[in-house]
Amino acid sequence: MKTPILKPLVIALIAVLAAPAFAAEQLPSPDKIVLKNGLTVYYLRNADVPLVSFRMIVRGAGSAFEPAGADGTAGMAATLLTKGTAKMGAEALAEALDFMGASLDVTAADEYAQVSGDSLSLHFPRLMEIAAECLTAPSFKEEEFAKERARRIDGLKAAKDNPGSAVRSYFRKAYFGGHPLGHLAGGTESSLKKMTVADVKGYYALRFRPDRSVAAIVGDIEKDKLLALLDATIGHWANPAGAAPPDAIPPLPKPKGKKLLLVDKPDATQAYFVMGAPGYAMGDKITPQAAVMNTLWGGRFTSWFNTELRIKRGLTYGASSFFWTWAAGGLFQATSYTKNDKIGEMLDITFGLLGKGGREGFAAEEIESGRNYIQGQFPPTLETNSSKAASYVRLAFYKLGFDYYDKYLAAIANVSAEAAKAAAAAYLPRNDYVLVVVGKAADIRPLLKKYGTWQEKKISDPDF
Amino acid sequence: MKKRTWLTILFLATFALSLSAAFKKEDVKVHQLDNGLKVLLVEGHDIPNIALFTFFRVGSRNERPGLTGVSHFIEHMMFNGTPKIGPGEFDRRMEFRGGSNNAYTADDLTAYTDWFPAAALEAMIDMEADRMQGLAFVPEVLESERGVVASERRMSVENNNEGILNENVRATAIMAHPYHWDVIGWMSDILSWRRDEIMAYYKTYYAPNNAILVVVGDFEPARTLDLVRKYYGPIKASPPPPPVSTTEPPQMGLKNVLIRKEAQAPSFMAVWHAPSAKDADYLPISILAKPLLEGESSRLYRRLVREEELAIDIGGGAQETIDPLLFMIYVKPRPGADLDKIDRVIEEELAKIKTGGITADEFEKAMNIIRNDFYRGLQTISGKANQLGTYELLYGDFGKMFTIMDDYAAVKLETVREVAKKYFTDSNKTVGKLIPEGGAK
Repeated sequence: MKTPILKPLVIALIAVLAAPAFAAEQLPSPDKIVLKNGLTVYYLRNADVPLVSFRMIVRGAGSAFEPAGADGTAGMAATLLTKGTAKMGAEALAEALDFMGASLDVTAADEYAQVSGDSLSLHFPRLMEIAAECLTAPSFKEEEFAKERARRIDGLKAAKDNPGSAVRSYFRKAYFGGHPLGHLAGGTESSLKKMTVADVKGYYALRFRPDRSVAAIVGDIEKDKLLALLDATIGHWANPAGAAPPDAIPPLPKPKGKKLLLVDKPDATQAYFVMGAPGYAMGDKITPQAAVMNTLWGGRFTSWFNTELRIKRGLTYGASSFFWTWAAGGLFQATSYTKNDKIGEMLDITFGLLGKGGREGFAAEEIESGRNYIQGQFPPTLETNSSKAASYVRLAFYKLGFDYYDKYLAAIANVSAEAAKAAAAAYLPRNDYVLVVVGKAADIRPLLKKYGTWQEKKISDPDF
Repeated sequence: MKKRTWLTILFLATFALSLSAAFKKEDVKVHQLDNGLKVLLVEGHDIPNIALFTFFRVGSRNERPGLTGVSHFIEHMMFNGTPKIGPGEFDRRMEFRGGSNNAYTADDLTAYTDWFPAAALEAMIDMEADRMQGLAFVPEVLESERGVVASERRMSVENNNEGILNENVRATAIMAHPYHWDVIGWMSDILSWRRDEIMAYYKTYYAPNNAILVVVGDFEPARTLDLVRKYYGPIKASPPPPPVSTTEPPQMGLKNVLIRKEAQAPSFMAVWHAPSAKDADYLPISILAKPLLEGESSRLYRRLVREEELAIDIGGGAQETIDPLLFMIYVKPRPGADLDKIDRVIEEELAKIKTGGITADEFEKAMNIIRNDFYRGLQTISGKANQLGTYELLYGDFGKMFTIMDDYAAVKLETVREVAKKYFTDSNKTVGKLIPEGGAK
C-alpha cells in the first residue's frame, strides 16, 4: 500500500472534518421520530442497495464515567449487552446475527456508548428485535463476564507485541493521567483483574437510558413499517427509576513543560513515537482554520510532516497529525516511526516543523490547496447509509445541527493564511507537550537523552 | 446447530427479490482502445465526485528471485515523477484540486485508486496516462523510496509477529510458484534492486494492453471517453508480458514451521493449498469458510475462543487469486495456550465437515454473509470501481460480479463436503507456530 488506512486517523478526520458543502446540502435532512419512551430517532430512506443501518449514541455511558482505576467497565458493559439476554444466550445471539450476515456491536467511546447495527433490509426487523432485547434485558451472566474478561486480559498482553498500537495506549495514559479521558475502553490488566460482574451490571443499570440516547436509521425501509417496528422494539425500552447520573467531563489537562516517556521493547527494530498537546473542543469556532492548518502540517500525504519524513528522506512509511475533539476539549497529536538509529533525526525534524508552523505560517497557494482538499474529500465521507446515520447521531449529540457540515465547508472556503498561521501558533506545541517513544531502549536511549529527562517503562510490565 | 424457523422461510421467499439491486450490468459502458486499454464507465450523480481506478495485471506473482517486492516498489515510484510531472507533483497537483489517492499491490494485481471532485477529471486522466508510460526513476528519489519500503517491511513484518509467521508459513507451504514470497518482498532484495532492472520491469508490465481503467461517478460518459482517447490513445501497446509458467508441485507431506522469539503472546496459523479463483472448487471452499471461521457463532470461534478458551480471536479463509494459493486459518492464541491442542481442535472440526458436511442453515448463513459484504461494497463509487476492476482482472469479465451471487447460490451442499475432503488433508497442510521466549515473561 502507498499509505495505510489508520483507524484512529479516520475517526479523527470524521470528527474534525465534520462538514462540507457547496450548493447542495451535504447531509440530507432526516425525518425526526420521537418514540413514546422519549427516544428520538432520525430517519432517512435510501433504496439504492437492500441494506439498512442503525446507529445510536447513549450519552454518559462511555469510558470517561467509570470510577477511577476501573478502566474497561464501560467497554465490558457494552460488549456484554450482546452476550446474553433474558430470552437468548450468547451463542443463540451470535447464531441469530451471523445467520443474517448482520452485525450488532455495542462499544464504549469516551463520552458515550454507541450501538451499531447493519443488515440486509430483509432482516432489519429481526435485527431491531435483537437490538431491543439486548438493550432492555441483558443477562450479564457471570460465566460470560469471566470469559470476556480473560479474553481481554490476554488480548492486552498480545497487543504489546505490536508497538504501533501499544504506543497509543501508553500515550493516552501519559497524557491524561487520572483525567477521565485517560480511561482505556479496553481496560488494563489491573483494572480487569479486580472488576466484577456486579460493577458492570451496575454501570449499565445507571447509565444506559433512552432519555440520554439518540438514534438514526438510514436505508432501504419504508417509514410506516419503520414506525411500527420501532414501537414494537426500542420503543419499549424504559427509563430507569431515579435521576440520571452526572455526564460532564472536567476540563482537559494542559501539560506544562515536557513530559517524556520511553517504553523499552528489546526486540523492536523500529522506534514509534506519539506526541500530543492541547487542542480544541468539538464544534469550536476555530475548527475550520485548525482543520486547514492540520491538513497542511500533517493531515494529508503532501503535508509538511509526511513530506519531510517520508517523501524527502525515506525515514518512515508514514507520518501524520490530527486533532481529537470532545465536548470538553481536544488534543493535537503527531505520530510516526523509523529505524531505531534514526529516531533522533526524526524528532529533530518534527520539532523543527512544529516551530516553523507558528513562526512562518503557510503560503497562499498552500492555503488554497488545503481548502480545496478538505472540500473535495468531504462528500465521500457521507456516501454510505452507516456514515450518514453515524453523522446524525454525532451531530445531535454535540448539538451542532444537521446543517453543520454546510456551515463548516463554507467557513473552510474562507480560511485565510493569517487564520491558519494563528491556528498553528495556538496548537503546534513547542515547549509544552507529552512525548512517548516505544523502541529498543539500549539503542535509542543515547539518541533521546538530549531532549530531557525520560521516565522509563518496560513493555513487559503490566498496564500502560 | 440451532434450529432456524421463521427466518429460514422468510429468507427463501425473498431471496430472488433482494438480488435485483439498483446497480446493473447495463449501467457499465465498456470500451477498448486500439492500444488494448480496457475502459469501464459507470455514470452516477449521488455525490459530486469521481472514482478513477487503474488496474495493472502485475503483482508479486510476476516477480523472480532478486526482484521480489519490485511490483510493490513500482507502486510507490508511480508517485515519484515523470519527465513531465516532477517527483511528488502528482500528489501535490491532485490534492490542490481536492483529490486524494491510494494504491495497493497484491499477488496478482496493482491498483491505483483516485477519488476527486468532478472538475478534476481531465487533470487526473492526464496525470494517470502520463505515469503509465514514462516514469523517471530519478536515482536519489529511488533511494529515498527504498527507505520508505524498508520501513514498511519493518512495520508489517519484522515488528509484527503475525507478519513474521505468515511470511515463513507461506514460503514453506509454497515451494516453487512465485506466491512463495509475500508482496512486500525479501529485505535483501528491497535493499539491492538495481535501477535498470526496475525500469525494465516497469516497461514490461505498465502498458495499456496490460491495464484496465474504471471510472465511476459524476461525469458525462461521451466527454470522458473523449478524454480517455486523447490522453491514453497515443500510448503504444507493449509486447504481451511473459506468462507465469511455474506450477506448484503437489505437496508430499505435512510441513511444520516453528519460530521462537521474544514476544508476549504466541501466534499460530495453519494453511492448505487451495483452488484458484476460476476453479470450480473456489466457491464451495469460500462458502465453507464462513460457518467455519466467520463470526462468534462459527465452529472454530466457538471451540477455540468460547469453549476451550485457547484463543483470543480467529480468522482466515480462501483467497481469490489467479493461480492456486492457500486457505488460511489464523489463530491468536492466549498467552501460554497449548498450540498443539489448537491444531487438534481445528483438525477435529475439519473432520466433522469432511464426514457430515455443513448444515443447510450454515449454507444459508454463508450466503447471507456473502450478500451483505457484496452490497456493502456497492454503496460507494470507490467500492463499485474496485469490484468492477477486480472482477475484470481476475476473471477477464467484469460481468462476473453480476452473476456471482447466483453462482454461489447454485453450489450444492454436498459439494462443500467433497471440497473439504479434497483440500483439508495432512499432506496438503503447513502448520506455523511462534512461541515466545527470552525477555518476555
